[in-house]
Amino acid sequence: MIGFPKILHQLHLFEEEGVPYAADLDKARVVELSAVMMDILKLAETQTDDAIVETLSTSYEENDISEAFERFAELEREGLLFNRGEDLERSLATESKWRKLLVAIPGINVDSFFDIETLSAGTNMALAHMIQHLTKYADLHFTGSRNRKIADGVYEIDIGIGDLVRLRSQIAQTYYGILTLHQEQDRWLLPLYRHPEFPPILVQNHAPRGHGGQAINSMLRHYAAMRDWDGFTAPSDYVRDFYSEYVWDPSFFNTLPNGVDATLFKPMEKMVAKREIAAEVGDDRIESVPTVGYLSRVQSEKGASVYLKLAELNPHLIFLIAGPNMGRYASRKLPDNLVYVGFHPRERLPLIYNAFDVYCFMSMSGEETFGLTVLEAMACGVPPIVPNFDGVPSVVGDAGLVADAQNFDHDVATLVSYPCPVDFSEKINILLDDAETWREFSQRARKRAVAFTWDKTARRIVQLFEGLHQKRKLANPHRLLNVFTSTQPSEDDEQQRLKHKSLVLSMNAHYERCLMRDAVYPLSVEDGVALSILKNHTTREAEALLAALIPDETQARITLKRVRGLIDGTA
Amino acid sequence: MVSRTRYRLKQHHKFEQDDQKYVADLETGDIVKINDVEWEILSRYESQTHHQIVEALKKEYKLTAIFDGIERLERLGQQGGLLTPTVETAEPTTPNQQPKLLVPFHFTKEKLALDYVTNLNRYQSLKHLAEFAELETLAFPEEEKEDIPPLDEVRVRNISGAKSGTLMSPWYAMDGYDGILLLSQFLTDDLPYYRIPDVPIVHCIEGDQRLQHILLRTLLTLCAFQRSKDTLVVKASWMKAWLAELGAPVENVRVIPDGIDIVQPTGDKVLAKQHTAAIFDKPMFVKQPVVGLISGFEPNRGAAWISEFARTNPHLAIFVYDAMLAQHYQHPPKNVIIFNADGEETRAVLPVFFQALDLVCFPAMPGTPLPIVLEAMAFGAPCVAMTKYGMPPEVIGAGVNVEADWDHFGNFRMSMVKLSETINQWLQPSDARTQCQGFAKGIAQRYTRKNAAQALIQVFEEGFQRRTDDFRTERTLFPPIFCRRYEPDTGTLRSSVYRLGTNRYDHLETALAEVLAEGHTPAEVESVFKHFQRECSIPVCEITRAGDGFPNNNRETNPAGQEHQQKGETYR
Repeated sequence: MIGFPKILHQLHLFEEEGVPYAADLDKARVVELSAVMMDILKLAETQTDDAIVETLSTSYEENDISEAFERFAELEREGLLFNRGEDLERSLATESKWRKLLVAIPGINVDSFFDIETLSAGTNMALAHMIQHLTKYADLHFTGSRNRKIADGVYEIDIGIGDLVRLRSQIAQTYYGILTLHQEQDRWLLPLYRHPEFPPILVQNHAPRGHGGQAINSMLRHYAAMRDWDGFTAPSDYVRDFYSEYVWDPSFFNTLPNGVDATLFKPMEKMVAKREIAAEVGDDRIESVPTVGYLSRVQSEKGASVYLKLAELNPHLIFLIAGPNMGRYASRKLPDNLVYVGFHPRERLPLIYNAFDVYCFMSMSGEETFGLTVLEAMACGVPPIVPNFDGVPSVVGDAGLVADAQNFDHDVATLVSYPCPVDFSEKINILLDDAETWREFSQRARKRAVAFTWDKTARRIVQLFEGLHQKRKLANPHRLLNVFTSTQPSEDDEQQRLKHKSLVLSMNAHYERCLMRDAVYPLSVEDGVALSILKNHTTREAEALLAALIPDETQARITLKRVRGLIDGTA
Repeated sequence: MVSRTRYRLKQHHKFEQDDQKYVADLETGDIVKINDVEWEILSRYESQTHHQIVEALKKEYKLTAIFDGIERLERLGQQGGLLTPTVETAEPTTPNQQPKLLVPFHFTKEKLALDYVTNLNRYQSLKHLAEFAELETLAFPEEEKEDIPPLDEVRVRNISGAKSGTLMSPWYAMDGYDGILLLSQFLTDDLPYYRIPDVPIVHCIEGDQRLQHILLRTLLTLCAFQRSKDTLVVKASWMKAWLAELGAPVENVRVIPDGIDIVQPTGDKVLAKQHTAAIFDKPMFVKQPVVGLISGFEPNRGAAWISEFARTNPHLAIFVYDAMLAQHYQHPPKNVIIFNADGEETRAVLPVFFQALDLVCFPAMPGTPLPIVLEAMAFGAPCVAMTKYGMPPEVIGAGVNVEADWDHFGNFRMSMVKLSETINQWLQPSDARTQCQGFAKGIAQRYTRKNAAQALIQVFEEGFQRRTDDFRTERTLFPPIFCRRYEPDTGTLRSSVYRLGTNRYDHLETALAEVLAEGHTPAEVESVFKHFQRECSIPVCEITRAGDGFPNNNRETNPAGQEHQQKGETYR
């Protein structure tokens, strides 16, 4: 038994060569039916299982009917024919005519975005904040496996990742854009770029390198495959700067700074905070000795080893560590002035930050684009010291100190930098030695932090989608025709070898004359290859190819620019 | 380009729901939203050609919308939906029915550029071809771009209502023709016709001395444009040999010499010699052996060569036929007459001079007009051919060959002593000479205009049988993405290819060849790889074009290439 009556998808029932089919328009899939299934479907929205059996028992064997029920149950599990979850048709109709964004972030429970307490990784936390604020500017529909309303303007919908390509026309009609997260192991996103129907796709990136080159390679694949009107976002300019070394068109990398909740993260009476923490961990030195803070996973890539050195170098200070646990460092003999203050839920974090006099951000990981904790510490009026690498200094600006770091020319086992303990140590003491200096930095930190709001982030996303729509309008079809040919050897070639060139016709693939006169125009083979490849591949792919074929990169770039111009100018 | 690949429509079902049109692919189970024009296209796709579809729909829909619709549906096909690529076998031509051929004209410009006799031959060829085929040309009255020569044999099809700026003439060539006969000698005029699918194209290239400087470029370019169904017709065997020597693909190059008009002797040779001597006021043409030199030399070098030839052989009376020098070479040596048929009168008198010849010499090289050679010999003169390709098959049995050499810039080299010896030997009466004279007399019967026309028709039929898709038709199961690849061990970046579906990197060259083969012939792809192998050291990989002879460039036999490849790694 399956539980009729059920809400059906929008169906079109038909027969072709004697076989009954249901075209499920919500899923863009055809389902082959049997005669009994066809008859059941006609009753499915109004009658119960028993009533259906009774109605049809005169025409069909009971076995056939129960087999049909089983088949329907299977189809329902596949998401076909029957509405899963709430009947969104109705509730969506009453919603405002906001722009709708499709949010596709598989692997993360949708509900967790609305229950930030359940999240730990900075990336997911940032996403959750951003999504919450985004609901002010667009309706968000999360890909999923059932229809339901999560909050006002926020829905899970019964469109799985595997449905996207098939549903591209519907998606194009409904959604202003697709918002997703770059995850290097994901394989569902790359094929999407091949379909011009999809609305702009904005891919958030929080880990620009590391993982033994896998992150970079995945990014480079996405960059190559993206349509002209797709793009990445990353929390700091650093990502664009970094990729400028790797690609010719860094405009695909858009900066989307994180925000901070400045009403939660705010300065409080420092002594109160310190006293509470001191009481909690049973160490009253925290109240009397200046404190340095670290809030992260206690692992090598987050700079834990370096932090330990800082403690050894500065026995006159207390070094606090807040994190899930001490990890492998728990089994070491730790410096006496290093105090583990435990793992704290989000609402307690302002208290922790306020117990720090300075905040040290020591990550050496290639995944660091922003440093959300730095911004949170700043919002609490705690001056940060950060290493001079990646995106973090741009967050700090003049509101903290930037310490030396030895940056590697390429990442080694996901590490990209080694923060200099001596310089960190000096910078800590600069801030702590002079109360006036400290106060100045503290004020600047708070002031700078409050400028980073999640609302700005959300508005920026909408702006970026608008920009992508504009790029989409500028995209042109490429209908030029070209051939490759051998040509006469030149007089100075003693071996009289044939040379090669390309020719472009003035007639295009629509039999129009798109260039002056009835003619063919000579091109270099390089130009011709670019012209040919751009028929079914992106400009970024042509970029990768030309970079391989033309040894001089400047020439290669000029070639691509020229050919792109020819295509756009004759579209 | 629309309709390069043919597709078969899979089992499908079209339907409308809530004012929206859909088509369901019953093989994959996918449903695709379609618009009105796509609906119409699908209704016609199985039974009509693209041309018919567009023509039928263009009143109701914008051309772009129709083309876009076809493109979108065929893109679905490339991705595995709704349509599936198919290789259709050519349906047999209707026997006993004259083929209908399209003959686009661009004669105005060419008439001025070509030799008088070449023009005459072109006209004659068409006239005779009309006996075996229905000939039609296109005229766009609104454009008035080309004078259509008054040729009763060629019907003029007026394309009215075709606004300039839309659909160029090749579009109309897809409509109901069994073939297209291209006669233009200039590169640009007719090339777009080569982009039409399915209709065999026969392009005749003359080898006119006046176009010698662009001849090679023209031939090589046409070879590049050709597809399996197309044939390049050259008028002499040495033209094909020349192309083959350069390594150009010559599978679809055919040699069809123009026919000559029936030669009827007007009197005896003595009388002909007297006439010649009288006309040019050169009595030696009566007394001395008369040797004809049918020239196709590069004019400047030709003048020097002819002078040397005349000085080396003062005992010979030399009648030179040279379309260009006749006008410009004012004071040739005394034993030389230079002549060209440049109008009706001079053409009419030519047989008299030919009848006076005891021997015909000619460089069998591009630029030498074979019909003139044949006509000169047809009165019974044996020949001495000068070439590097061996005795030209057209005149085998009617003379001898003397080894000669030339380059692409007109420098002609051969042993003058050897040539003189051979000429003197062949002027002496001998059994061989008699035999050759007999053979030469048979030339007129062999090279008739009717034979030439029939051979052309035959070429069209063969082309029709060879209609296959020259481009890669199989669907790419794992589409390549060209992208850069970062190597964490060295920190370097290089270009590579990532395959969707298999999710792994592949050789750049393999994917490049694959992608190029979608829109280019194997010969073109080869051209690209040759270019880069030399300049950029990209090795040609095994190319995944099933059933085609793309050369498998063996790296083992190319140590130089291997070395380049290693160097190539460093710059990336």
